[in-house]
Amino acid sequence: MLDIVNNFTHFFAHESCGFCTPCRVGTSLLKNQLDKIVDGHGSAGDVVALEELCALVKNYSHCGLGQTAANPIISTLARFPELYQSRLKKISYEPGFDLDASLETARQLANRNDAAAHLTQVEQD
Amino acid sequence: MTKTIRIDGNTVPFEDGQTIIEAATAAGIYIPHLCHHPEFTPHGSCKLCTVNVNGRNCSACTFPAMEGQEILNNSQELQADRQKITQMLFVEGNHFCPSCEKTGNCQLQAVAYHLNMLDSHFPHFYAHRELDASHAEVLIDHNRCIFCTLCVRASQEHDGKDVFAISGRGINKHLIVNAESGLLKDTDLEATDLAAHICPTGAILIKHTAYKVPIGERIYDHQHIDQVSLAAEQNK
Repeated sequence: MLDIVNNFTHFFAHESCGFCTPCRVGTSLLKNQLDKIVDGHGSAGDVVALEELCALVKNYSHCGLGQTAANPIISTLARFPELYQSRLKKISYEPGFDLDASLETARQLANRNDAAAHLTQVEQD
Repeated sequence: MTKTIRIDGNTVPFEDGQTIIEAATAAGIYIPHLCHHPEFTPHGSCKLCTVNVNGRNCSACTFPAMEGQEILNNSQELQADRQKITQMLFVEGNHFCPSCEKTGNCQLQAVAYHLNMLDSHFPHFYAHRELDASHAEVLIDHNRCIFCTLCVRASQEHDGKDVFAISGRGINKHLIVNAESGLLKDTDLEATDLAAHICPTGAILIKHTAYKVPIGERIYDHQHIDQVSLAAEQNK
């Protein structure tokens, strides 16, 4: 479903005539912001920003194109918020590299695999 | 009996044929705007002058004043959204106020201050725009163009020429000049034309005048744009 929303949003950014500011800049901003979330680079704040941007483009655009361009995002945000939430980056700490895999060689060389040879990288819940 | 509209609860008289912004200006009420100029045909593209008329958003510079209108202009919501529209203009082009020779005389900058804009809020586009320094006396820096079409209208309606036009669509919109080479030097623009002076940003500049008025003594250094704009437009 997000693919359809994304397709619509790209379509409107391409079709905007550029006469008025909210649509000319807004549809392109919507496109970039949605791409960010769909590509998995978004955080919870980005969804809030997306929602605000939708309202701005809808309420201030000169013609029907801008006034409806955000509708696919607005309606899916209202009815299927989990679609967006599932694409968000985890807010909790994510390690940049795999400590366990890095230690594996050392463990083999030292020939030990006891509990002390395993460091916890992320605090257990 | 004179006809009246109400702006933020104040009764404002108007004459038939006046737009909302004209009636407001005559009554000393400032509505933020960039693409509007009392001398030229209204355009209604910048959307900064958006007001709420009986529950609907309209551009005050194009919407005719009519009996019975209840208008919101200075509401918190409208000012916040106008600020975001200004931020959109800032991220769309490349506006570096501290290094721009128009700083202090720039309407875009002054409107941003008026709306208490403190950051650009949206991610920048970092658009690649050209500079046209071919003309001996006038410079175009496309980085700062906001497509208000004031130069287009001034050239056609005041100078009796047809030097400028807007071309392209959507985010790729751009200002063009009327010459086969696409260069300003091959047009009939002169530095005395109104079109060369009317730019509300630093996109069209007169050469060799950059810092003749030092920073600190410029139009908006000591006055807010609402006072400057009202004083200028009430005399028209």
